[in-house]
Amino acid sequence: MAGSNEVNLNESKSVVPLNTWVLISNFKLAYNLLRRADGTFNRELAEFLDRKVPANTIPVDGVFSFDHVDRNTGLFSRVYQPAPENVTTCGIIELEKPLSTTEIVPVIIFFHGGSFSHSSANSAIYDTFCRRLVTMCKAVVVSVNYRRSPEHRYPCAYEDGWNALNWVKSRTWLQSGKDSKVYVYMAGDSSGGNIAHHVAVRAAEEDVEVLGNILLHPLFGGEKRTESEKKLDGKYFVKLQDRDWYWRAFLPEGEDRDHHACNPLGPKGKSLKGLKFPKSLVCVAGLDLLQDWQLEYAEGLKNYDHDVKLLYLKEATIGFYFLPNNDHFYCLMNEINAFVHPPNC
Amino acid sequence: MEIEIDSVSSPSKVKEIDGLLADVGYKVKSSELHQVAQNIERLENVIVNSSSSDISQFASDTIHYDPSDIGNWVDNLLSEFDHTNSLPYDFSQLSDLAQDQHHHHHHHHHQNHQLKVVTTVEEDSAIKLIHMLMTCADSLQRGNIQLAGSLIEGMQGLLTNMNTNSGIGKVAGYFIDALNRRIFGQNNIIHIENDVLYHHYYEACPYLKFAHFTANQAILEAFNGHDCVHVIDFNLMHGLQWPALIQALALRPGGPPFLRLTGIGPPSHDDRDNLREIGLRLAELARSVNVRFAFRGVAAWRLEDVKPWMLQVSSKEAVAVNSIMQLHRLLGSEPDPNNPSAIETVLGWIRSLNPKIMTVVEQEANHNEDGFMDRFTEALHYYSTVFDSLEACPVEPDKAMAEIYLQREICNVVCCEGPARVERHEPLIKWRERLGKTGFRPLHLGSNAFKQASMLLTLFSAEGYCVEENQGSLTLGWHSRPLIAASAWQAVPETLRFDH
Repeated sequence: MAGSNEVNLNESKSVVPLNTWVLISNFKLAYNLLRRADGTFNRELAEFLDRKVPANTIPVDGVFSFDHVDRNTGLFSRVYQPAPENVTTCGIIELEKPLSTTEIVPVIIFFHGGSFSHSSANSAIYDTFCRRLVTMCKAVVVSVNYRRSPEHRYPCAYEDGWNALNWVKSRTWLQSGKDSKVYVYMAGDSSGGNIAHHVAVRAAEEDVEVLGNILLHPLFGGEKRTESEKKLDGKYFVKLQDRDWYWRAFLPEGEDRDHHACNPLGPKGKSLKGLKFPKSLVCVAGLDLLQDWQLEYAEGLKNYDHDVKLLYLKEATIGFYFLPNNDHFYCLMNEINAFVHPPNC
Repeated sequence: MEIEIDSVSSPSKVKEIDGLLADVGYKVKSSELHQVAQNIERLENVIVNSSSSDISQFASDTIHYDPSDIGNWVDNLLSEFDHTNSLPYDFSQLSDLAQDQHHHHHHHHHQNHQLKVVTTVEEDSAIKLIHMLMTCADSLQRGNIQLAGSLIEGMQGLLTNMNTNSGIGKVAGYFIDALNRRIFGQNNIIHIENDVLYHHYYEACPYLKFAHFTANQAILEAFNGHDCVHVIDFNLMHGLQWPALIQALALRPGGPPFLRLTGIGPPSHDDRDNLREIGLRLAELARSVNVRFAFRGVAAWRLEDVKPWMLQVSSKEAVAVNSIMQLHRLLGSEPDPNNPSAIETVLGWIRSLNPKIMTVVEQEANHNEDGFMDRFTEALHYYSTVFDSLEACPVEPDKAMAEIYLQREICNVVCCEGPARVERHEPLIKWRERLGKTGFRPLHLGSNAFKQASMLLTLFSAEGYCVEENQGSLTLGWHSRPLIAASAWQAVPETLRFDH
C-alpha cells in the first residue's frame, strides 16, 4: 500500500461524521500544499490558511483566556481559566491571588499538535479544545506556543516546553490547595504529546514535580516500519511519507528516526529506570497508523515500572477530539477529568 | 476580529452553518457538506496524480481565497488545477471577486507559469463581461442610452473571443440580447409555441417535475377520505402533471374518487380546441385505470379574467387549486385605490371556493423589484444558476428548447415594463407574507413529499441538484441556491381570520 497513488477516501468517510471528515481532510489538503520536496515549508501560506482566534478576557461559555508573552523569548502562552464566581471581576486578570486556597485546581500545560510544523496556541481548533478542557475537566490550561520546525529544529520545542513548565510552576496565581502549590500536569496531542514526554523526562531528572502526563496519539516513530504503519498507510487521513517529511524537518540534519527525540524508548533512547517519572495517560486511536509506536511506548513505560493508563479507542481516527460529535471525545474528556482529579488528593 | 462563540442552546444567527465547524473557524453550510466533501475528494485525486514539486510551486503562485469558506477555497483550487472540464462559472464568486479585494492573499505571479496562462484569458474576459453587463444595466437605469448601446457593442465583441456554448459566455449572451431588445426593440422572435417549449423544459431539467410531484403528493393527501374531488389547474399546458395524480388516485386504498379536472389555458389560435384535446387524452387515461373522470376547459388569456362561476365548483366536492408559476403573473396590474388588484381578486375568489388545498409553485427569485438594476442583477444570478444546472442535461433538442424557454423569461424580466412584464417572480418569503395577509395559512408538506422529491433527484443522475425543506415548504435548487419553491395552503375560515 505504501507509495500507491490510489486515494482511499471511502474508508475514512465511513468512520467519522461528515463535518469531521471535511475538517480533517481540509487540513490534510492544505498541509500538502505547504510541504516542499526540498524540505522547506511555506510558512507564509501556512499562517494565512490557519484560522486563528484572539484571547478573550470576557468569559465565553464560562471560560476566559489571556496571553502571556515571555519578555526574553518573545514566545507567548495562552492561559485559560474558568470564569470567576463573582461576575464583577470578569475581564480582570487576577495575578495576586492563588486559584484557590481550599481546593486543588489542576493546571494543565498543553502542547498543541501539528507534527512540530503546523498550528499555534491561538489556532481556532486548539483554542476551542483548550476551552473544552477547562470546562469538562475543571482545570486551568496553559497552551504553549512553542517554536516550530523546520525553522526551529530539535531541541527548540523541548526547551520552550521546559521554560513553560518552570514558568507555570513559579506563578503564585496558579497555586491552589491548602499547600499553596501549583498542581501541574502536562498534555499534548501528536507532536505535543512527544514534547510532553521529553519535558517530563527532564523534569524527572532535575527533580521538578509533574503530577501526570496526558498524551493524545503522541508522535513517535522509528526507522523500522511497524505493522500498523504498513496496514494503515494512507487509509485514515495520514500517509507515512508525510510523517517522514516532518521528522526530517524536526530532527537534526543527518539524523534518522531512531534519534531519541523520535524514538525515546528505542535503540538510541535513554533508560527511564528509577526516575521519578509522572503517571501517564496514553490515548491511542485505533485507526492511527502510528499506534504500534504508541503502544510500544506505553509498554516501555510499564517495563520501567512507571504508572501508565492506556486508553485505546478502537474506532477513533486522529483528530477525533477536535469536534465533540463522537463518543471517543467524551470518553477521553472523562478519562482526563479523572486523571487530574485523583481521589486521594 | 472578535469571534463570538454562541452557546449550544441558542440558535446561531445563520442557522444553516455547521456549528461545530464554526467553533473551529470554518464556515460551511450543513446542506453543503456533501458537496464540499466531494470537491475535496476531487482535489485530492488531482493532487495525487500530479508530481509533488508541482503542487507546492503551484500553491505559491496561485491566489488563495478566504480559507474559512472551505467550499469556496477548494472550488478555486479545483478550477485552477482542473482544466479537463469546463467548469460552469459560479457567478456569485466572480462578482464577489470584484468587490471583496481584501480577502485575497496574492503570492507573486510567475508570468510564464504554464498553468496560469491557459486560464487567465478566459477568466479576465468573464470578469470584464460581468462588469460591462452591470454598467450597462446601470446606465439604462439612469437613462444613458448612448453609453448602454456602446457597452452592448463592446460586450458583443468580447463574446466573439469567448466560449459561448456554456458557462458565463452563454448566459451573458442572453442578457446582452435582452438589453439590446430593451433599447432597440428587435423583432427576430422565434416562432415556437410556448407549450412546446414548456414540454422540452419539463424534460430537460427536474424543476417542473419537482413542481408536479410535490403538488400531486400534497393534493393526494388532502383528498384523503373524499369521494368527490375537483382539481383546478391554473395552467393546463399539455396536462403533464395529471396522469401521475390520476394513477395515484386509481391505486388509492378504498378506491378512487370521482375526479373532476378544470384546466385553465389561453384560447387556441386556430380552429382546434387545445384544452379539450388535452382533456380527452386525460379522460382516456382515467378510463383505462377505472377512475371516474370529468374534464372542463376554461379558456382565458389572463388568470384575472377567470370568474369563479366558470369553474362550477360544487359544495360537495373537495377542491384543490393548483398554480404552477402563475400567481406571479398577477402582480403587474396598475395599483388602483378604488379596486382590488388582480392578485387580491384572484386570491379572494380562491378563498371563496374554500379549497382543501392550494398548491403554489413559484420561481424562488426576486424579479419584481421596481429598480431595473436590482432586477437585472437578481436575474443574472438566478438564470446563471439555472443555466449552470442545464449543462448537466445531455438530451437534445430538450436542452436547446429549454434554453429558449428560459430566454423568453429573461427577455420579459429585462425588456418589459408595466402590464407587459408578467414574469414578476417573488421569493417564498414574500408569498408567505402575501398569502398570510389574504387569509391563507400554510400547510406543511410532509416527509412523503420530501422523499418523493429526493427520489426524483436520484433519478436525475446529475449531481448538484438539492432539495431543501424551508419551514414546511420545499425548494429545489442547484448547488444550494434554491431555484423553485413549492408550498401548500389552506383558506383560513372567515371567523378565525385576523387582519394584520
